[in-house]
Amino acid sequence: MNSKVKHELIYSLVVIAILLAVAVVNINYIDGHKANIAQPENNSTVPANSTIIHVTGYQWAWSFTYANGTTSTDKLYVQAGHNYTLQVQSKDVIHDLLIPSLGLQVYAVPGHPNQVSFEPMKKGSYIFECVEYCGQDHYLMRGYMEVSS
Amino acid sequence: MSTTELLILASVIGSLVAILVFAIYYLAVSKSESMSLTAKEEGYTDSNAYWREQLYGKPRPLSWSIFSYDDAKSIGLRYIFTSILFLFIAGAFGVMMRVSLFDPNPVIIQPIIYNILMTQHATLMIYMFAIGAALGFGYYLLPTQLRLKRDNMGHWSSVAYWLWVLGGTLFVISRSSMRWYLYPPLSLQLLPTGAGTYNWLAIIAMELIFIGVTMAAVIVLKVIFIDRADDIPLSKMPVFAWAIVFTLIMLLSSDEPLMVGLGMLFYDFFNPVFFTTSTSTPLTFAVLFWFWGHPIVYIAVIPYFGLMYDIITRFSKTPVYSYFSGVFSLGLLMILSELVWGHHLLNSGLGIDWVLFFTTASFIVVIPSALTVFNMIGTLWKAEKIRLTTPMLFVINAILDFIVGGVLGVMLANQSVNEVAHGTYFVTGHFHFIFVGLTLGVTMATFYLLYPTFSNGRVYDERLAKWHFYITAFGSMLMSVSWAIGGYLGMPRAVAGYFAQFQVYQDSAIIGGVIIGIGQLVFLYNIAKSWLAHPTTDPYNILEYRTETNQEIGGGE
Repeated sequence: MNSKVKHELIYSLVVIAILLAVAVVNINYIDGHKANIAQPENNSTVPANSTIIHVTGYQWAWSFTYANGTTSTDKLYVQAGHNYTLQVQSKDVIHDLLIPSLGLQVYAVPGHPNQVSFEPMKKGSYIFECVEYCGQDHYLMRGYMEVSS
Repeated sequence: MSTTELLILASVIGSLVAILVFAIYYLAVSKSESMSLTAKEEGYTDSNAYWREQLYGKPRPLSWSIFSYDDAKSIGLRYIFTSILFLFIAGAFGVMMRVSLFDPNPVIIQPIIYNILMTQHATLMIYMFAIGAALGFGYYLLPTQLRLKRDNMGHWSSVAYWLWVLGGTLFVISRSSMRWYLYPPLSLQLLPTGAGTYNWLAIIAMELIFIGVTMAAVIVLKVIFIDRADDIPLSKMPVFAWAIVFTLIMLLSSDEPLMVGLGMLFYDFFNPVFFTTSTSTPLTFAVLFWFWGHPIVYIAVIPYFGLMYDIITRFSKTPVYSYFSGVFSLGLLMILSELVWGHHLLNSGLGIDWVLFFTTASFIVVIPSALTVFNMIGTLWKAEKIRLTTPMLFVINAILDFIVGGVLGVMLANQSVNEVAHGTYFVTGHFHFIFVGLTLGVTMATFYLLYPTFSNGRVYDERLAKWHFYITAFGSMLMSVSWAIGGYLGMPRAVAGYFAQFQVYQDSAIIGGVIIGIGQLVFLYNIAKSWLAHPTTDPYNILEYRTETNQEIGGGE
């Protein structure tokens, strides 16, 4: 084996080893956080202790309907230490809800309701926004998540 | 202004345009008449065939006659210079978008205009610049690199070129604001606040671009496989020829879903039966789109890898470190990149299995990219002496930017990162590292190398060219780094305004973007200045020809 092939083998194997390690970490993450990944709406897969919040995206605002029937627009009120499941739908075009501080992202697709679970840990006010371009005032489709203790 | 004045103004402008059009028509027709007369005297019935034979194998400088001739090199020049024209149009749109984001609220450019600029910037850059320049360099370089036996598809190439130009022009005219994703139902909203009043025209324009590009791709593949000289076996072709082969096979095998999807979308304007009924979901279109939309970003990269290999070997005077692994990893890149398109839809609610498959596949596609980079570094490592001419600087910067952009891409392939960064400026930073550093950089490198041939023996100012390089590289780095950091903190992309907390990242990206723009102005000035000077060298560039005199110059002085 000449030195060229040896070098090639070494760098191929190093790259493959690194990627394999990252891939295993990623598969582990997905396996352990199934409820935190956007998926088609299904009431039977909602975690047992979770409170459902209905989210509707429309041009150009988010509206949140809570279990007690109250509704808020561009403001999401949650309590720290509780588990919530967002069931997200869209009235018109495709939107995408992102709460960066929670690492939570879910598309709002007309005719294809999605759900995703999360548990806020810290009290405070955090941003959320629409990250799928949806027309003129796409940039205004944003607001604050208020986490109370 | 009164109606009478308006009418007078309209008729004056109309007359001037008519005179101009007639002048162009007259010049074109008289030129083609004289060309066919000459051909007839030589005993040819097909004038174009005669001229293709006359021009065969000669260095081809730029002149207006490229629109009269249809030999492969003239077509190549048409593609290269049209794509550079669109690069500057789309780049100007990009700088305008940057500047308008100076303030968190849109005060300079209104959101409707901003969204149009955004759509045009993305579509023109990808379809008109990246694909166009790749096809252009293919048409221009392959006839000499492969010493073609025949050059007989000129008519078809010309038709393909004009369809592509018509598509790009109509796309600009349509003032579409649907973003290059074209997702329905937004793209079906024919309103200024949605996808733009004339968005139906944009769909037709996209279809025209696709037809043109598909035709050209078939012709270039035919040129490579059937027309190359008998003594050049596939295993001895330049890496660039292989890169074009893989790119075009990838293009041909993945653009049909979107062509069909666009047809269905167009039908949906009149009778919505495909994507927006109660029994369907717009995600169907998203799947059709990304089956093409992911390979397209590799189409903007793989041909430039081929050019990088060729340029590196010219300036380091050493063969490619491993020709086999270079070609093999480009081929692997072609196959694997068609399997990872689903990672653009990880958070769309297509299921956990979807996420599992496409994130894992996305890691695999990194292997050939990494091998390519290592191969280039190996070539540089083996070289005894590397001449840091402007093209070489661009290529080295391209390797660096591709590594940074690639690592950001690997990060995005993690679902845990993707949930935070998808749809944010992190993604924009990731691909602008690669598009500005690699696609734009290598295009400029190749342009500088070919410049003596384009300009019939003129040389550009090496000092200005180096300034062009350093300014572009610095601006690109500043812009993309600001985006990547801001995006990781949740700064959404494709917005006309933003939360005030992101202003520092936006403003530094604006500085970067404007710096890139200034760099391209230096390029224009350099080219204009040297074009007016007298030819001082021979028109043989080192990418196509090996002569005694051209080995020491890099196309510049």
